Amino acid sequence: MALNVDSGGKEELKTQFITREGTYRLMTLSEYSRPNRVGYTNIQGSTSVRVSFVTLPDPNGNGDRICFNIGRELYVFIYKGVKKAADLTKPVDKKMYKGTNPTCHDFNTTNMTSDSVSLLVGFSTGQVQLIDPIKKELSKLYNEERMIDKTKVTCIRWVPGSTNLFLVSHSSGQLYLYNEELPCGTSPPNYQPFKQGDSFAIHTCKTKSTRNPLYRWVIGNEGVSINEFAFSPCGSYLAIVSQDGFLRVFHYNTMELVGSARSYFGGFLCVCWSPDCKYIVVGGEDDLVTVWSFVEKRVVARGQGHHSWVSVVAFDSYTSTFAIGKHQEWNENTSPSENKVDTCYRLGSVGQDTQLCLWDITDDILRQKPCSKTRNTVVSGSVSPSSNSNKTSQNTCANKEKDGLEAISSFTHRLGIGFEKKDNIGHKRSLSKGTTLQLTNNSSDDPMRLIGTNSCPRFDECPIMEPLVCKKIAHERLTALVFREDCFVAACQDGYVYTWARPGKMVSDGDFVTFS
Amino acid sequence: MQQDAHEFLNFLINHINEIILSERPQKSKNGDGDAGNSTPEPTWVHEIFQGILTSETRCLNCETMSSKDEDFFDLQVDIDQNTSITHCLRCFSSMETLCGDNKFKCDHCSSYQEAQKCMRVKKLPMILALHLKRFKYMEQYNRHIKVSHRVVFPLELRLFNTSDDAVNPDRMYNLVAVVIHCGSGPNRGHYISIVKSHDFWLLFDDDMVDKIDQSAIDDFYGLTSDIQKSSETGYILFYQSRDTTETNINEAKVNGK
Repeated sequence: MALNVDSGGKEELKTQFITREGTYRLMTLSEYSRPNRVGYTNIQGSTSVRVSFVTLPDPNGNGDRICFNIGRELYVFIYKGVKKAADLTKPVDKKMYKGTNPTCHDFNTTNMTSDSVSLLVGFSTGQVQLIDPIKKELSKLYNEERMIDKTKVTCIRWVPGSTNLFLVSHSSGQLYLYNEELPCGTSPPNYQPFKQGDSFAIHTCKTKSTRNPLYRWVIGNEGVSINEFAFSPCGSYLAIVSQDGFLRVFHYNTMELVGSARSYFGGFLCVCWSPDCKYIVVGGEDDLVTVWSFVEKRVVARGQGHHSWVSVVAFDSYTSTFAIGKHQEWNENTSPSENKVDTCYRLGSVGQDTQLCLWDITDDILRQKPCSKTRNTVVSGSVSPSSNSNKTSQNTCANKEKDGLEAISSFTHRLGIGFEKKDNIGHKRSLSKGTTLQLTNNSSDDPMRLIGTNSCPRFDECPIMEPLVCKKIAHERLTALVFREDCFVAACQDGYVYTWARPGKMVSDGDFVTFS
Repeated sequence: MQQDAHEFLNFLINHINEIILSERPQKSKNGDGDAGNSTPEPTWVHEIFQGILTSETRCLNCETMSSKDEDFFDLQVDIDQNTSITHCLRCFSSMETLCGDNKFKCDHCSSYQEAQKCMRVKKLPMILALHLKRFKYMEQYNRHIKVSHRVVFPLELRLFNTSDDAVNPDRMYNLVAVVIHCGSGPNRGHYISIVKSHDFWLLFDDDMVDKIDQSAIDDFYGLTSDIQKSSETGYILFYQSRDTTETNINEAKVNGK
């Protein structure tokens, strides 16, 4: 006998919601899932359902393909979006794996043709597979004997513009660069140091004959999972989020750390770039979405609306307005420097609370200068220099506060990251760079030092955004969110991929071709 | 009939405290009148577990704010399906309107009035014990029901629900132990616990102690559906303040030299 404790899971789900641009509607016939819906097994604790899209060159405009993983299975379907109902009887490709689960996947958009595309798949046991779901003749395995890494693949991406290079991150905290044409070798790789920085190290293989991996990046402390990474839309930068609560941003080619941020607490789980490369948004175990300015190298805003961990963040570039790039209101007479376009980025996020949140990140939020509120209370952590350490260890709170305050102000002063200095734009770039490096060096295992800095401002020192829309759209935790031109797509842990039509994009149900 | 782990925790903390107090040298027994009023010197039990909650009440009639502090050894939080402990703590401190039978006795108005009340943490304890209220009385069944809702808890935690005058609002906590209830209802089942010890997680199940992987903690968040009968769910969470661990380490180092 199962007792219904409260409305909990039985709460009615939203099938439509209204924003200022109109009404978004759930396309009930465009629901993608397993072709055969019976024989459902326990989905608790299984890997997250992720979704990848590709648009193949097709003269008739039917080139959209969707790939998603459910449990031990991987599916590729023709994606008909808001135009026609999903036909689940004819998958383009389907794979069932034994003893391992696919965890993530990525299509190569550089070398695809109308009848061929390279799809990378990462697995829970560490292996990587390269397949062509259309031609089906291609199947290569990397890290097959698990000699490179035994832990779960957490994220996999083709290097932007490359036909053969790809990056794979693991829960071991390591990131590998592979060349799909090279072998992985029959023995474990021997590494030699290539580049070392604060809180990261990069290695190459010692072997003379080139083999995979080409590079090994070790991020943060050993064993701290890399949860996701994302290349900037311009392709030059790589943003990495880890379980240690850090966002680290690298220049990909020079392998230099150019910035970092720290969660309010807990791990960062997801990361994405604004379409103009100016901002990075991260979500995590602090239930927040955090907006980090790439230019200013600081946390500029936090969004509070989720009731649990944030699993995916994504910019909606179709609804965002910003000075550079395509934009319907963009006036050619305005010079970019005048910045007359009212910047408004549309961000979406989904989380373990089964909710979708939409956010408008506007100029008035982004332009707020960092403020240091006068506080009579500060962290009582052991940030003090060694000379003070015996004093800080006293039990009285008053002592701790005083020492903490002195320590923090002297600490920030030393590093030149006092808030008042941030107005000096000319000096900012080089300054921030040095600061960041030093900060992560001192702080990789002590987030207390970062509280109140640009990497992790106090809650009342940073603008708080409220969601434009916050809707419960599933019964299970949400694991994927993709914005497309006429819709957005959200996936759920129980194996359903939902399509939501944008305002005015919904084809009436009568026009749908019924299931054959 | 199974006893409740949270009741036991309360009993244990209070009992240890009483034992310490009773073994203290009796200073003065003559000041009988004062002895009843003066609170005894805090013990190490207080130093470890005690925090202060401040409840701020605003009378909706005269707008007067009044605040009252109270000590706590653990926070008892209501839970919702598919939420985080962070969210549950937010709800714990959300504004509550006192009305109907539950009106507030305003000293200024000298009468019962509608009021708004909010409970926030004023002093953050060294060990923050969070009791998830998983045993809920259901009127329609006339008994307590186990609520197996999925409530995630991070390995690292800071509090959002601190009062404006909080002494140490930036405290960063690390998860160090979880008491887990296994079973279908409040009157049956089994308790196990996981404890972090020297960077390893240990699972204590009666006389069995096993090392477990940190990722296995996910199994104790709870269930997203109400269909399953039995569950293994986090019931009491213990978070340790990071500054105290480091201060203690520093202290040990200093003393060691």
